[in-house]
Amino acid sequence: MLAPSCQPRGARLRERTFHGFLFRKFDAWLPRLCSLSRVILHLDMDAFYASVEQRDRPELRGRPVIVGSPPTQRGVVCAASYEARRFGVRSAMPSITASRLCPEGMFVSPRIDAYRAESHEVMAIVRELAGGRIQQMSVDEAYIEVTSGGPCDSSPDERLIGALPLARKLKAEILTRRHLSASVGVAPNKLLAKLASDYQKPDGLTVIRESEKVAFLRPLEVQSLHGVGHVTAENLRRAGIRTVGDLQDYSGDLRPFVGSWAAELKRFAMGEDHRPLELGDDVKSISSETTFLRDTDDRTILRQCLREAAAEITGKLARRRLAAHTVLVKVRYGNFTTLTRQFSMEEPITEAGVLFRLGCWLLGREHLVHRPLRLLGLGASSLVEDRLRQMELPLRLKGGEPQRQRHSQSLPNDPYSKS
Amino acid sequence: MKLTIGKDQLMLGLQAVQNVVGSRTTMAILNNILLNARDGRLQVTGTDLDISVTCPVVAQISTPGAITLPARKFIGIVRELGSPEIELSLDEKKQCSIRSGSSFYKINGLAAEDYPPLPQFKEVRRVVIQQETLRAMLKKTAFAVSADESRFVLNGIFFSLKDHKATLVATDGRRLALTDGEAEIPTESQGDFIVPTKAINELTRLLQGTGSLELNFSENQVAFTLKGENGFDTVITSKLVDGSYPNYRQVIPAEPLERVAIPREEFLAALKRAEIMTSDKSNSVKLAFGRNQLTITANTPEVGEGQETLAINYKGKEMAIAFNPTYLMDPLKAVETEEVYFELIDELSPGVLKINEPFLYVIMPMRMS
Repeated sequence: MLAPSCQPRGARLRERTFHGFLFRKFDAWLPRLCSLSRVILHLDMDAFYASVEQRDRPELRGRPVIVGSPPTQRGVVCAASYEARRFGVRSAMPSITASRLCPEGMFVSPRIDAYRAESHEVMAIVRELAGGRIQQMSVDEAYIEVTSGGPCDSSPDERLIGALPLARKLKAEILTRRHLSASVGVAPNKLLAKLASDYQKPDGLTVIRESEKVAFLRPLEVQSLHGVGHVTAENLRRAGIRTVGDLQDYSGDLRPFVGSWAAELKRFAMGEDHRPLELGDDVKSISSETTFLRDTDDRTILRQCLREAAAEITGKLARRRLAAHTVLVKVRYGNFTTLTRQFSMEEPITEAGVLFRLGCWLLGREHLVHRPLRLLGLGASSLVEDRLRQMELPLRLKGGEPQRQRHSQSLPNDPYSKS
Repeated sequence: MKLTIGKDQLMLGLQAVQNVVGSRTTMAILNNILLNARDGRLQVTGTDLDISVTCPVVAQISTPGAITLPARKFIGIVRELGSPEIELSLDEKKQCSIRSGSSFYKINGLAAEDYPPLPQFKEVRRVVIQQETLRAMLKKTAFAVSADESRFVLNGIFFSLKDHKATLVATDGRRLALTDGEAEIPTESQGDFIVPTKAINELTRLLQGTGSLELNFSENQVAFTLKGENGFDTVITSKLVDGSYPNYRQVIPAEPLERVAIPREEFLAALKRAEIMTSDKSNSVKLAFGRNQLTITANTPEVGEGQETLAINYKGKEMAIAFNPTYLMDPLKAVETEEVYFELIDELSPGVLKINEPFLYVIMPMRMS
């Protein structure tokens, strides 16, 4: 056990103030909970795809670059340079909208492989400088847990400040070696570190000290908090809660608005976040989706699309030696209404044929293809290690399933409808 | 309608139907039970349109009549009544008065004429089987039914009626249970069909008697008439699963390589203990057959490990084969014999469990990926 002097005093006091007796019970454990004196860095590459393009193509530098489908085609913006963002262009926006907002925008087709390779280089630098405690969130984003933030008896704030040289070095090395800029947030947990990296973009470096975290959060909108989306924000608004400060001050029960998540949300509002870094390459789900050039309800095309997605997903599952308990389908219609439906099985699956069959079945069961689709996606989640696989009886379930049979009349080439 | 009935009798009828009412909200009347009073009996009926249950109970009828009453409220009141005798009477406003001891209640009903009619059978095939026989057969198969809705032909028990023999089969694609029993099957009543899981559950629940059972079936529905005394027959009618059952015969291995007798209770107890050491991620036990010894091991890196040793009479080749412990325990719980016979071919082929009665269970192993 650590010496008592090691306890993060400031944090403890606040815990006591805001959570009353509940947390007092845990006081005995606090010295052991390193989570209260953690130092977390969040590294976020600035406009990653667009910056890679601007670096590789000098003629794009200083211009509003929009990575994504050209506006003449359907499709969305993958990323926008800061020059383009000034016009209101955002990722996931339809390209046609982006071109209306930013007529001067230089549309560039995404080179996903190039970004992935670049990401690999950047993350190698991070690993080299920061050690092994890294959770990579996506191609351009990672959390880093700093274990040596100063002597054990230093205060949480001192430990955070102690990590600044590393943060500066990360930014500098990525700029020197890869000619790309990154923003870094330094904070006592993941929630705050992410907010910090976003605080002064691009090329930012922001520390949120333990002693100022509550004040830092106060003016932010509730949606800045991890996990608060439109629905939760709307529910909170009904309770008169708009800012994180409102949440901090709210003394009533939040459960009517956010359900069982109330306790964690309240902690988030106070800048408390005990989520550990997920190390290793833990994958939560694997999915694949296709946006069609033209909205379609052509069963042959949709079927082909699902078959390819199933093969891609099961390939990835196999490489990671994983099996999936849950299958999900996602559809988006012409008006951007997006629906997802999922189905869970007792035995995890690994085979493309089964994934494809369940995808087709879900689409049919939920009557999702009642009008043309703009996008069709297939996914696998609830992943488990594929150590031992339950073998199946060689039963032939074919024409015997009327729903599937009905489905396959208009959808030929289904391996499961052939006898 | 006016009648007097014992609380026990009324509860008997209500309990028989309670599971099939009130599960759909689209049609208000389906939340009601139908009461029909005539000829010295009160007929209690419930339906969810897929399954219907009708149970007659003894009552003193003063005025015959019929009404439907909201099931939850009516059952709730009757269950809590303190007196053993209950008087029910209906007024012209379709309100049913319930009098019992010092209690008096009035419940609003809906017209009996609006209740969905019970399914009628056009062409009827008729088979007679003993209730006890069918109950035992259901117990030996029902556990293997699939709950995977995407393979819904497996969401029920397959009945095959042929040559004075009823054969029941259930499988979830990973194990298969099969049993048969004697039945009176006229040649023109031969046939096969799939009874959905919910109907199986209700049937199992209501099959407590010792009399005979009449089974009628047509293209898309089946009725089980549980013969009671003096014509007090409980009837369960169900839609059939619409589809054809896979050819299960082809998955039953023809020639085993090894056959070994294992004491059932000892085997089950060992598996129950070993199963504790498995987890959701690693749900398997390994059965190692060696000379006169069966070793069961469970090894879950994040939990720990366990080992059980059973003395058996085994002289065959050494073999280690992994199974989901639940799939091994289910049949051991469903049968009552002292010994079971386990037939094996190799690590990757189905194992077969048999007893000295008409019962067969095929189980697929787990393999290292």
